[in-house]
Amino acid sequence: MAQEAHGALHDLLEVRGVTRRDFLKYCGSVAAMLGLSETMAPQIAAALEGAQKLLPALWINGGSCTGCTESIAQVDSPDVATIVLDYLSFEYFETIMATAGTQAEHNITKRVEEGGYIVIYEGSVMTGFEGRAQTAGTPDKTGLAILEEVASNALAVIAVGSCAVDGGWVKAHPNPAGATGVAAWLQKQNIKTPVVNLPTCPVNPEWIVAMVVQLLLVADRDVDKFVAATKWVTREYADEVTDASVSLLMPAGIYGQSIHDNCPRRGHFENGEFVDVLGSEQEAMGYCLYKVGCKGPQTFTQCPVTRWNRRVSWCVEAGSPCIGCGGLNWVDNNAPFLMRMSDMQLGGALGNVQPGTVGAVVGGVAAAALVAHGLGMKAAGRVGDGPPMETAKAYDRKRGAKKGGDK
Amino acid sequence: MARTVVDPLTRIEGHLRVEVEVENGKVTDAWVSGTLWRGMELVLQDRHPEDAFWVSQRICGVCPISHSHASAQSTEQALGITIPNNARIIRNIIEGAQYLHSHILWFYTLTALDYVNPLNALKANIADTYALAEAAGTRVADFGAVQKRLAAFAENGQLSIFTGHYFDHPGYVLPPELDLIATAHYLEALEMQAVAAEIIAIMSGKFPHPMTSIPGGTAFVPTEQKLDDILFRLLAVKNFVDTALIPDTLAIAPFLLGAASFGGGCGNFLSWGVFEAADNDPYKRSLPRGFIESAKGLTVDKVGPEDVTEYVAHSWYDDKTTGLTPDKGKTEAKYEEYSVDGKYTWGKAARCKDLPAEVGPLSRMLVGYLSGVKPVVEIIDVALAALSKAAGATLPPTVLVSLLGRIAARNLETAVVAQWTVEWVNELIGAIKGGDSDYFVTARGSDGEGAGLWEAPRGSVGHWMSVKGGKIANYQVVAPTTWDIAPRDDKGVLGPMEQALVGTPVFDTERPLEILQVAHSFDP
Amino acid sequence: MSGHAHYREAHPLVFVITHYINLICMIMLAFSGFYIHFPFFNGFMGVARGMHFVAMYVIIINLTYRIIAAFFVKTATQLGSREVDTDIKNWLPQEENKHQLFETVKYYLFFRKEGVISAKYGSLQKIAYLATIPLTYLQAYTGFAIYGPTMNMGIFSGGLDMVGGPMNMRIIHYFMMWVFIVFTMIHAYLANIYNLNPSKIIFLWKETDH
Repeated sequence: MAQEAHGALHDLLEVRGVTRRDFLKYCGSVAAMLGLSETMAPQIAAALEGAQKLLPALWINGGSCTGCTESIAQVDSPDVATIVLDYLSFEYFETIMATAGTQAEHNITKRVEEGGYIVIYEGSVMTGFEGRAQTAGTPDKTGLAILEEVASNALAVIAVGSCAVDGGWVKAHPNPAGATGVAAWLQKQNIKTPVVNLPTCPVNPEWIVAMVVQLLLVADRDVDKFVAATKWVTREYADEVTDASVSLLMPAGIYGQSIHDNCPRRGHFENGEFVDVLGSEQEAMGYCLYKVGCKGPQTFTQCPVTRWNRRVSWCVEAGSPCIGCGGLNWVDNNAPFLMRMSDMQLGGALGNVQPGTVGAVVGGVAAAALVAHGLGMKAAGRVGDGPPMETAKAYDRKRGAKKGGDK
Repeated sequence: MARTVVDPLTRIEGHLRVEVEVENGKVTDAWVSGTLWRGMELVLQDRHPEDAFWVSQRICGVCPISHSHASAQSTEQALGITIPNNARIIRNIIEGAQYLHSHILWFYTLTALDYVNPLNALKANIADTYALAEAAGTRVADFGAVQKRLAAFAENGQLSIFTGHYFDHPGYVLPPELDLIATAHYLEALEMQAVAAEIIAIMSGKFPHPMTSIPGGTAFVPTEQKLDDILFRLLAVKNFVDTALIPDTLAIAPFLLGAASFGGGCGNFLSWGVFEAADNDPYKRSLPRGFIESAKGLTVDKVGPEDVTEYVAHSWYDDKTTGLTPDKGKTEAKYEEYSVDGKYTWGKAARCKDLPAEVGPLSRMLVGYLSGVKPVVEIIDVALAALSKAAGATLPPTVLVSLLGRIAARNLETAVVAQWTVEWVNELIGAIKGGDSDYFVTARGSDGEGAGLWEAPRGSVGHWMSVKGGKIANYQVVAPTTWDIAPRDDKGVLGPMEQALVGTPVFDTERPLEILQVAHSFDP
Repeated sequence: MSGHAHYREAHPLVFVITHYINLICMIMLAFSGFYIHFPFFNGFMGVARGMHFVAMYVIIINLTYRIIAAFFVKTATQLGSREVDTDIKNWLPQEENKHQLFETVKYYLFFRKEGVISAKYGSLQKIAYLATIPLTYLQAYTGFAIYGPTMNMGIFSGGLDMVGGPMNMRIIHYFMMWVFIVFTMIHAYLANIYNLNPSKIIFLWKETDH
């Protein structure tokens, strides 16, 4: 049945010389990424082919370095041209759109009025300097106003990259940018549009595609269905800017397992084979980077499975310890990057002290105290047979003295 | 006299606003405003010096490699580290791959839409297109298929990233066949920029935001298989540069000779030099260090970190922090209402020897040309000869100081860097064959000062760091954009892009195509 | 105190065995824990992790058994006595220890000369021993909470949220190991400060008369 389905996409594929076989193969890989059985491929194909119109999308840059845009240009399957020309109709995309200025702003206004679109938001939400830490458009429109405008009528917002998720590096101490994430800000503004969070710095483009296809295929652009049909993990954090507890929705297939658990170097960890010096003979052997600060055990992303840049490599494979860019408040929490997590400073009240030092000091002090105490016991003549024992409890003696008798 | 504001100025990195005054169809005054606060320097205070390598590159998602390399160099200077030779070569290859990636992406994806009209390509005659491609010596694609794909796309009625385009602007002058060739190459370029980025990913984990050029050398240890993966990708990209990017540039340029007469700017050019030489002398880098001062004509002076000052009279920073050299620089924000007479940007006004200075491929190519770097001299001479032929007159190198020259210089540089990068891979293979297996040094001090001065694809980048007791005491970045989109300085002298905009013809202030063309030529 | 006999009734064989199991498991847990925290030599990670898990399960089962056994195994409840009663009596407050906690502290801080009257276990001793029970379970809990396969279970993820994430939980787990180490040091010290008779009975099951 699926084989008979024809639609806009099918025609486009035919024009491009993509065979039915290639297409189904691609649908199979999408299914695998979504954690669905590969037997779903025909249904996925049917959903994609049946789509009459491209899904309108607005790609909004907040306090961003454009790295996530760069990243989407490195997507593997489908390639970026296909996404931009055949899947999504990006009516606003600062970095690649043809138009600019007033006309660009008009594209936003028009689409928000018509509805039926998704927002992909890159960069942190900049609340600093009364929102003037980031402006775009006339007259001096703040990034906050733009986010509120586009989110209010969107089907869903996909917050891509750690900056959009919780403020990313921009929120690191002591930046006055007032950076926070999309979910936190929309919660504060009481905008109920669902926010899908895709952290790492930058975002891995394959994960954006997985979410877009999920929305198009399983859910027929129905967001309630989309949320219900996807397996999620939620991460809670206390947002400093909005002063509220925020619950972040992330797809479980991508953010459910630690890097450590899926790491190809895990075997070396279990064997106790470690890289002690970066770029050394041990690195040539592909040993585990745990001792030089790898944050893989604490970071929950699918990097070792999806890999990066059309799957050619990823951080650990190239020899660098993971810096945990997919975690929350990742710079403050994970730096110094070359230091193992368990060596890291406690911060706050104890200043620069590390748990190991504290433990050793506590143990040492206890030992010294016991030695001192022992010497005292010896000096007091208690060692050997022990002290002379009392014949009655002190309490009873006092009470007896007062009342003139024991009991 | 009319004021026109372009905000957002699209197809750039970050957020940019341009305000111009137009009189009799020409720009008479311009204000360029960076509308995004970063705060990177503050984030780095008190952190471990090595962490700056990972964090500071996140200033820019388009040129993170160069920021990371400048940062690593500043750390290495501060802590007294000399990196192993293999690490030097590996960093050069990664940097080279980023140049290829960035220049290809910039030309075809960011700036080409100011000249190429993909909808016009629908009118192209396929046979004529093949003939033109052959005549221009450019790469042949399945032009018929591309046209069909475009037609299907246009018929669908949803124009995606072309929604609200200016393609009916008379500034689009290319014949349909050339539009079709360029569009076909636009699609190929999307593939090629990704292949170039794969080279970076193989050597540094991922792009953007690479991982391995850690202060001390590199964490990447090449294997036979990885070297092979790098080399074959590099040759594919080089082939695209030689058979598409360069011929396309030479084919399009004759239609844009008008752009040789405006968009030049301040005429001062700075290059910190890029691609490290074996003896670490910045004047012997493949593209050497140097400063060209407009008033002195085409001669190159020496230049160093002490020549840089940053002014903030027109930037949202405390006036007390104006005129400082970056090693003593401060980042103290002071936001007030946007006013072109007062403060109007988050960018500081970076000045070299107290002059505004243009940075980028044009600066590097001019400094390289005047310093006698052989491949640079050769390719510029070839390009000048081709342009002269098209113009029917002998054009001097000074013609490069223009909108057209700035675009051409970047594309020519791509070809030079592609050749070098292949040579570096062979150099690395040779070094490994020779038994050199050092990639990283761990020994390092805990106090000192460093200035990592380097070149990103879009221009000069400097990271200044001082380290006390193993922690960063002060950190300052002067990014390429700090130079090019600099506002007026305390004396009221316009920044490089502002100067380049002045004199630019504007046909229609509602569709300010020419302003986009000039702004995009800087790749801000 | 020590001027009394140490009879087998004070520590029946079954508790000598559970005590041995505790000791061996604690050593294995501490050693493998330190190794997992920082692999100070190479080639042992898999073994260390395996050891950590096995020792944890054994000590938890042992502790649980020890609690149940307290209700039916008979032991002495008084110092130097052969008279036995259900072990649980030793866990509950005893008449002999009433009003003695503060006096015991004073004794150990040299504010009084005479030893204090107590049951088999003194007030301080009893509190310390009882405290190790919930602490041991808690330590296992914090361990599961930072263990990948179990950390997403509601019971553990709730705890992670409460303490502010796995890193904080890891620090807690680490510090609690030091609590056990310090406990063990004090325990060994105070047990043997007068003479080694307590060790003879608990390790060798060898009786000593005063």
